[in-house]
Amino acid sequence: MSVPPGYYLALAGLMFSVGVVGALTRRNAIVIFMFIELMLNAINLIFVTFSRMWGHVDGQILVFFVLVVAAAEVVVGLAIILVISRRRGTANVDDVSLLKW
Amino acid sequence: MPDSGVFEYLAAGLRGAVSRTNALPNCAFCVLVFGLSATLSYPRGSPRSCSHIATSGAVPAVPRDYFSQYITIGIFVLVGLGLVGVTLQLARLVRPNVPTREKYTTYESGIDPIGRGWTQTNVRYYIFALLFVIFDVEAVFLFPWAIVFERLGTQAFIEMLIFIAILAFALLYAIRKKMLEWL
Amino acid sequence: MDLAQAIAQPSVDWHALSPDIVLAAAACMVLIADLFLPEESKWLAMPLSAAGILGTLAAVVSLAGEHRTTLGGAVEIDTFALVFKGLFCVIGLIVLAMSFGYFRSGRYYQGEYYFLMLCSLLGGVVISSARELVTLFIALELISIPAIIMTALRKADVKSNEAALKFFLFSVLSTAVMLYGMSLVYGITGSTKLDEIRSSIASSADEPLVVLSVIFVVIGFAFKISAVPFHFWAPDTYEGAPSPVAAFLSTASKIGGFVGLLVLMFRAFPEVADTWRPAFAVLATLTMTVGNLIALRQQHIIRLLAYSGIAQSGYVLVTLALIDPSRPEANAQALESAIVYLVIYGIMDLGAFAAAVAFARKTGTYFLSDYAGLWRRSPVLATLMAGFLLSLAGTPPMAGAWAKLFVFAAAINSEVYWLAAVMGVNAVIAAWYYLAVVKRMFLDSPEVDEPIEVPYLLRATMGVAAFALLAVFIYPAFITSLADRSLL
Repeated sequence: MSVPPGYYLALAGLMFSVGVVGALTRRNAIVIFMFIELMLNAINLIFVTFSRMWGHVDGQILVFFVLVVAAAEVVVGLAIILVISRRRGTANVDDVSLLKW
Repeated sequence: MPDSGVFEYLAAGLRGAVSRTNALPNCAFCVLVFGLSATLSYPRGSPRSCSHIATSGAVPAVPRDYFSQYITIGIFVLVGLGLVGVTLQLARLVRPNVPTREKYTTYESGIDPIGRGWTQTNVRYYIFALLFVIFDVEAVFLFPWAIVFERLGTQAFIEMLIFIAILAFALLYAIRKKMLEWL
Repeated sequence: MDLAQAIAQPSVDWHALSPDIVLAAAACMVLIADLFLPEESKWLAMPLSAAGILGTLAAVVSLAGEHRTTLGGAVEIDTFALVFKGLFCVIGLIVLAMSFGYFRSGRYYQGEYYFLMLCSLLGGVVISSARELVTLFIALELISIPAIIMTALRKADVKSNEAALKFFLFSVLSTAVMLYGMSLVYGITGSTKLDEIRSSIASSADEPLVVLSVIFVVIGFAFKISAVPFHFWAPDTYEGAPSPVAAFLSTASKIGGFVGLLVLMFRAFPEVADTWRPAFAVLATLTMTVGNLIALRQQHIIRLLAYSGIAQSGYVLVTLALIDPSRPEANAQALESAIVYLVIYGIMDLGAFAAAVAFARKTGTYFLSDYAGLWRRSPVLATLMAGFLLSLAGTPPMAGAWAKLFVFAAAINSEVYWLAAVMGVNAVIAAWYYLAVVKRMFLDSPEVDEPIEVPYLLRATMGVAAFALLAVFIYPAFITSLADRSLL
């Protein structure tokens, strides 16, 4: 018994939407970041679903690359957030507002 | 008399597992890869079905191939757990048993444990975490390569060496920058 | 042949990949050399990087006139790819010249900086010949991730940190949005190759999913090229980043985004052009107008250049609003004008940044009011700066005039008169703030009379760039003949 692909896509769409809303409304840089990771995972789910649907593995290969890029982004992002929180004692993006206009 | 279906199932799964094990190279690493490939190759007849599985041939007809693969994994898990349990019990047979008070205190790198177990981790660990994330994820490319590299020949081998060499440069960087030393 | 097979049975054309391989090897060499060089000779990483880029350039030249595809069609070498590979190499060399004094004196992480810059440049070199979604995506990320670290390189400076955080969050968000679009494209067409996408997307042109996916991809790219209303990160990031990095971001990173966008739009989605062309027209209008209007109020040279760069993106976006596969001639002209614009923009924008860096090296200020009377303090710098600003404004005798004119002509030829009109109005607004700086440099009297020395390396680089712009103005066929042949 298999779940129709539409369900996966709906789930992925939901995850992605949650990610977008969270990334735009949250104020803690790390939490924003977690929401963005949620978006990337939703995309991975879509790739795997379509890959299954089309019966070839191109989509799964794409998932590998998305994973790697996401990992690289995690590393860079966490390093930046750490530097900021060391200097300022906060990871709140509203407090990071020296540069305007 | 229990329903014989379950046993039939298990037996068929075992038969499947054994018939496959014959097709395996005798190396621990390949056993690992095999376990992964068995899960990856669902559904049957997908274009990437690996050569190991293709040679196994006699897949039992009663349980579907899909479930037999879970049974394979189940057997792996059981054997793994069993090995650990048996060795621990075997050790109990030969070792002397002289309990003292000190021996029952929690062991923590030779230092008496202070405070509670649930404490904040030192922030210095983050650098190791970051390094781990990178190297962990790069391994994702090694698995597909390991499954098919016999078919691809020397060129793929050299390419993977280059890939690993570039990663090694990164590790070298971390070592030279004294990132792996505990200050 | 699908991607899995292409990876499993590769027949690799190494010559076609040689520019990318040379640059990647050079980047690794720089990293290792930096590890073993003593502190006082770390600057050697710069000549080493320059040698690497020159090697890449040589590999690009050795491929001139070729047409090759390799890696199962994922990489295609044609004149388009070679023009942009060459442009990225030139940008790399100019940025190296700008960075040398800056990073040597500042006690920054020199070796790491050059390594990261080469990596980012590698992204640009790869994206020029990428004709497949995975390659495109990886190349795009290869441009931006090192650029984020480069922005954060001044660890002790809160502004640098903040710039990096903003750049990072926007970049990652845009990546996610773009990938969502790409995943839907893959789902609709079942392929990641642009040519196959093109042939199979045509039949489902009216489906809302197609429109949705293309719009997502466009929004993702709009962040990368800092198109209004997705531009908020750009001026802040440029101001906070070390200024050579800002120059790199506003040229290499932006041109990289545009190359990806051009390849996608001309190669993968032209059959559904009717659905997304209006989006580009709106994006172009907004980007030009808002960029120019905000630039009018800027007092900080880097921010001025940032907003002017946003406006310049708007002009290139105009060409994307002209794509029409049913009229091959107008289509080809749109692509040609986009290529000419990007090449000229890369050189003139870098030149203006280089002049700002040279000025700030001696005076330590980025404020426009301090540029008053620059002519009397350093005639060379004032002349060069004026040349680059005139080029950006699109006035003779610099190449920028041709760039604007070609895009304008393409719009007229495609009978999109209102967009041409918007462009004309914007060119006038833009001329106002560029010429205001020029006037300040030449006519106002300086507050301090101390002369400004420009380092030789920087002076030579700016001189060559300005001369190139002048030469292209006099004889535009230098570039148009190349652009003519680079059809996608």
